[in-house]
Amino acid sequence: MTNIVKTEWLKIRNYPAFWWVFGITALTYPGINTLFLYAYHDITKQKSTAGQVLKALMGNPFALPEGWRTMAFFSSFFVYIPAIVVIMLITNEYTYKTNRQNIIDGWSRRDFMTAKLIDVLLLSAIVILLYTAVVLVIGLTNTKNGSPHIWRLSYYIGLFFLQTFSQLSIAFTVGMLLRKAFIALAIFTFYSIIVEPIAVNFLKYKYNSEIGRFFPMEISDRLLTKPVFLGKIDEMAYQRSIDAVKYHVVYTIVLVLLTWLFCFWLNNRRDL
Amino acid sequence: MSSVLSLNNIAKSYGKVQALKGVSFNVPEGSVFGILGPNGSGKTTLLSIILDVLKANSGNFLWFGHPGSPAQRKKIGSLLETPNFYHYLSGINNLKITQSISGRGTDADIDEVLKKVKLFERRKSRFSTFSLGMKQRLAIAAALLGDPKVLVLDEPTNGLDPVGIAEIRQLIIDLRTSGHTIIMASHLLDEVEKVCTHAAILRTGELITTGEVEEILVDDDVVEVSATNLNALVDILKRLNKHMVVDEKLNTIHITFPKGEARLDEINKFCFEQGIALNHLILKKKRLEARFFELTNN
Repeated sequence: MTNIVKTEWLKIRNYPAFWWVFGITALTYPGINTLFLYAYHDITKQKSTAGQVLKALMGNPFALPEGWRTMAFFSSFFVYIPAIVVIMLITNEYTYKTNRQNIIDGWSRRDFMTAKLIDVLLLSAIVILLYTAVVLVIGLTNTKNGSPHIWRLSYYIGLFFLQTFSQLSIAFTVGMLLRKAFIALAIFTFYSIIVEPIAVNFLKYKYNSEIGRFFPMEISDRLLTKPVFLGKIDEMAYQRSIDAVKYHVVYTIVLVLLTWLFCFWLNNRRDL
Repeated sequence: MSSVLSLNNIAKSYGKVQALKGVSFNVPEGSVFGILGPNGSGKTTLLSIILDVLKANSGNFLWFGHPGSPAQRKKIGSLLETPNFYHYLSGINNLKITQSISGRGTDADIDEVLKKVKLFERRKSRFSTFSLGMKQRLAIAAALLGDPKVLVLDEPTNGLDPVGIAEIRQLIIDLRTSGHTIIMASHLLDEVEKVCTHAAILRTGELITTGEVEEILVDDDVVEVSATNLNALVDILKRLNKHMVVDEKLNTIHITFPKGEARLDEINKFCFEQGIALNHLILKKKRLEARFFELTNN
């Protein structure tokens, strides 16, 4: 295992494109949350009646413990950035045919896939570290001193990790199937942003069907509920979405397992 | 002599195209084993199967008497088809990956193989900046890393200039002398003839022949004769009832005898008794090129 990690490190250590995208990823998570924070402050500092009503309704979604939920929700919009890294790491191997060279040099096909699984796990862990750091910095600066229960919703670290790992695993699968970085990224983004949301909502509003919650991205999207102030629009529906999280944890774990089983099976079966 | 590699009835199809049709042969230890064949004959497919890049549809192969495994591949230096390296990494960093995966060699060995293939000065340049010949040299360096006792080289002189080709040929001969086993695919017959001790010839996925290069070459004895009156010589040689080819430009006749049956003294005596004095008489070893064309019906 150490050898696999060392080899993957040798591959990315001097890879400029990786570090560029990694840098963008590192800026995205603090950036997007700071942007929403400024928007919130802009709205709530209004002296108008509307501004004061909004402030009363919203509370402070960036204060802890609520900040864990709010910032997990906003951060989850940007899975496409680390997905670029994941897709690059797998499609490069096909572009340069280094996947076959790794096997020729003495890795088993399972070693190769384990290396890629570790890449996706580590990248998910880095995203979570960034998220945690952002929540602690923004959350603590927006929380009154001595406020109890600041860790109460910190289980969102686990939920956000599971969602990120699940969605990056899907990005990896798309890269593995299509083998071309640009096509894989375009299809992943197009499916995630356009196709699946339209399909889920079409089924929901046209046919009153909830089958869309089992779609690949939607399964894990439902791990992170909206910030509480958005839930006030339909409180019963919001409560149902919170109650469904525990089931979606199980569905997501099953999906992640199936995704990687498929990837290992495919890599073992097909010619390189 | 024990076998380093044994192939048993290997078959491989790509859809309806049968790339290999039940190929079997053994590679003796210490040999330079050439796998010969025209383009599309299945050479690279065969090497890809023994390196686990492709899966055979049927048949099996044994390395050192055991089924192929990652542990065995780590002990084999290989160059398959094209040099496969990370384009954004330098030559030396690419070899560090080879070293990390295979466990072959040390940092000092990396420098040594880079010097051997004359890439040491460019070791810190990115692979993407290398010429085709330099890429090929790096691939050979990767195969040589850690001095593996068995090497699999697919078209090792591809992309090299004449000096580079001569150097790699000499390197292969040196490796053979020091007891290495080399399995080499090539369509360059001259190359195989110069460096290989054994060969297997493939044609559209079928094994045509295999054995020592000398055996393959001397399948027939070809005697080249000439006389001042070539027409008269042709007339009397017809009585031998042997296959003859007359080359009027060179004023020579090639007579083919079954392997080991050509007797130069008897031919000379026969012609002299028939009133023809030969001015040229030589037993020619058939060149691999001619033999190859015969066997592959090209």
